[in-house]
Amino acid sequence: MERGGSDTMVYQLQQVSVRYRDHHALQDISCTIEAGQWISVIGQTGAGKSTLVQVLKGLIPLFQGEYLVDDQTVATDAKGKVKVRPEIGYVFQYPEHQLFETTVAKELAFAPKQQRCSASEIQQRITAILPQVGLTEDILELAPFQLSGGQKRRVALASVLMMNPQVLIVDEPTAGLDPVGRTDMLQWLQQWQQQENRTLILVSHHMDDVAQYSDEVLLLHQGRLIGQYDPVTLFIEQSHLLEQSGLVLPESIQLLKLIEQCSGQKIEIDSCREQDIFAKIIPVWHRKEQTFG
Amino acid sequence: MLTFNHVHFYYKKGQPIIEDMSFTIHPGEFVAIVGANGCGKSTIAKLIDGLVLPQQGTVQWNTLDTSNQSELADIRRQIGYIFQNPEDQFITTTVRDEVLFGLENIAVPRAEMEYRVLEALQAVQMKSHIDAEPHQLSGGQKQRVAIAAILAMRPHMIIFDEATSMLDPRGREQVLHIMHKLHQQGITIVHISHHMDEVLTAERVLLIDQGRLVFDGSPQSFFADIPVAQYQLQVPFAVRVHQLLQLTTPVAPQWKEAVQTQWSINSNR
Amino acid sequence: MANPVLIGQYVETHSIIHRLDPRTKLISLFIFMLSLIWLNTGISYIVASLFVVMIVGITRIPVVIFWRGLIPLVVILLFTFVYNMLFTEGTVIWSWGWLHITIEGLENGVRLVWRIILLVILAAILTLTTKPLTLAYGLEKLMYPLGKLNVPIEQFSLMIVIAIRFIPTILEELERILLAQKARGYDITTLRLPQRVLAYIPILVPLLFTIVQRAEHLSDAIDARAYGKGKGRTSYRQLQWQSIDYIVMIIAILIALGLLLLNIMKI
Repeated sequence: MERGGSDTMVYQLQQVSVRYRDHHALQDISCTIEAGQWISVIGQTGAGKSTLVQVLKGLIPLFQGEYLVDDQTVATDAKGKVKVRPEIGYVFQYPEHQLFETTVAKELAFAPKQQRCSASEIQQRITAILPQVGLTEDILELAPFQLSGGQKRRVALASVLMMNPQVLIVDEPTAGLDPVGRTDMLQWLQQWQQQENRTLILVSHHMDDVAQYSDEVLLLHQGRLIGQYDPVTLFIEQSHLLEQSGLVLPESIQLLKLIEQCSGQKIEIDSCREQDIFAKIIPVWHRKEQTFG
Repeated sequence: MLTFNHVHFYYKKGQPIIEDMSFTIHPGEFVAIVGANGCGKSTIAKLIDGLVLPQQGTVQWNTLDTSNQSELADIRRQIGYIFQNPEDQFITTTVRDEVLFGLENIAVPRAEMEYRVLEALQAVQMKSHIDAEPHQLSGGQKQRVAIAAILAMRPHMIIFDEATSMLDPRGREQVLHIMHKLHQQGITIVHISHHMDEVLTAERVLLIDQGRLVFDGSPQSFFADIPVAQYQLQVPFAVRVHQLLQLTTPVAPQWKEAVQTQWSINSNR
Repeated sequence: MANPVLIGQYVETHSIIHRLDPRTKLISLFIFMLSLIWLNTGISYIVASLFVVMIVGITRIPVVIFWRGLIPLVVILLFTFVYNMLFTEGTVIWSWGWLHITIEGLENGVRLVWRIILLVILAAILTLTTKPLTLAYGLEKLMYPLGKLNVPIEQFSLMIVIAIRFIPTILEELERILLAQKARGYDITTLRLPQRVLAYIPILVPLLFTIVQRAEHLSDAIDARAYGKGKGRTSYRQLQWQSIDYIVMIIAILIALGLLLLNIMKI
């Protein structure tokens, strides 16, 4: 049985380019993904976000450039094509549309079966994972089409967790969810990531979510990596980069800048979480330090 | 004018979806319908367009009744419906054919068709894509084509049934922009959504809870009086700012202006 | 997904055949296909084949595309030929154990295979030179008399349009499912052909399910756009018979009669 890799895997792309027939999906990407963080990949539709994370996962068999895992060139097969990385779980957008087994139990067992796990090991994992995603054992013998949309999404998520991934890539995990569903999902992902110091890679359009949860942000524009930043640097000091890439600042940051403008005062922040920003704004708003009467 | 008169509806007996619902939507209004998942808001949309019929009560558009088979065609000509999934409402193989589809259905004379297609596509800024095929279009573009397909039929009212849920921010912005433009031109808009910031731009909010209408009023009083968290909804950013900074101006989507105004007011004290 | 040139997909070359009314093509090809029944002598086969080759030439579509259309049929053609070769009664020219090859068997095999090839090429000419929607519309117009008998031809025509519309979408969906499987450690492309075909079968289940879901959504969308029963619709597309259409249909009838004559006279 293959366990997910070491706890501190470092993924490095060096000048990676991916070309399709008529266009470059990625051009000259160089970046380092270190373990134990929440990393968000942002950019307009078509900027190359999904391609980037698919390269990391090993779903893109051929590309130019180097892909190193822990300083070693990534594993390839006999034809030189990159092998799919088993320690990385990948949850596609609208994952419920990709359920293909006849029962939930079989769907959950699919990934560990490919990893040659024993039946008892599979059963153990199922029992451990179901409560984590808020499902109960009576769902196991149901067919996917008998489930509600929300249940299907949880089954899809659980199916990937069954791989025991050290890294989880989630592509627009909140797509189509209502506000409460979105918050639940994001908080669940944060909990998962913070447990055992795992790595979470989020692909998202929602700048507010990115500001709220990320440790690091990769900004893509037209297939190129504009840069790798911590949220404060990107949203405060380099916010023009965001706008140039066709993206909008998180609303809490917009408010912060507006207050700075009104008060003429620079407000220092060390976190882009909304509650932290609000906390910094309040004193300035009430003008505890009176700069003009 | 749309009237719901003591409407009861269920798919399965014993599991009511809509219970004793009555309301009226007047010409030219912009109404948002909100509620938790499964509260019945999409079903209201289907009842309006006669896609499902009430077991009790009536749904009337002006003098027409949805339960009257012969009147349904007229109702559907006057009420347009934009669905949530951009892919599943694109019926034909090109943009032009898609906009033509509705015109052919309502037997518009052939001589008028070309003009109406171009006019509708111009309104949603998709004229340059007239020969495009659906798989070449983004979600937002497909939704705009759907709107054009409805516009060509010259509706009096358009229902947007979670029409922005599956779109990226840019697509959402485009659809919302068109929605408001159409409203300004006098079309009645019914906007079913769980995006609370969109709700703030409406004139009137209907809150549905387990099939019942529990609130009917302005967005301002909605966010002031209703504990939205209880209904699995969230407070939009503009309202959060309002509460945080204790703004005295009425709640509006344009929070930046409100903040600036309040700052001036505070400074002059 | 790279847009595959599906076998039989429309290829534009602005030839005369492309410009014909779809009804002309449907009728003429149907007549000609029927007349393949009364091919029974060497000369009639040659005449028919020359005619088909001539039409292929007029379409100006590269021959390699027709060739590609025949490749998937190699197995069937081979099977048909061998079957006829071995199991037709007659003058045995070679045997091995209980397997006999007869002259009649060889002849029958060749004839059948030849006819199948001609049929496939004719069908390909139709789909390569006519846009799917135009074809569907032509069919609808031709079925008009059936419509008088209360057969829902408009709805049938809409069904064809929707099927054509959704083929690329469903193929994309299939790709996504395969990618999701690959992400969980299962790569269907590593299987060799016979097992791979079998491996596709379970994936049909979720595809079918989403197709049913789509059908429900589509049905609502169609109703919401006031489709009704499809009766009384006006139409933007117009088909007009032109002199070239009459000429072509007459030629088709003449060729068919010619082949019939050859049959009767046993030339």
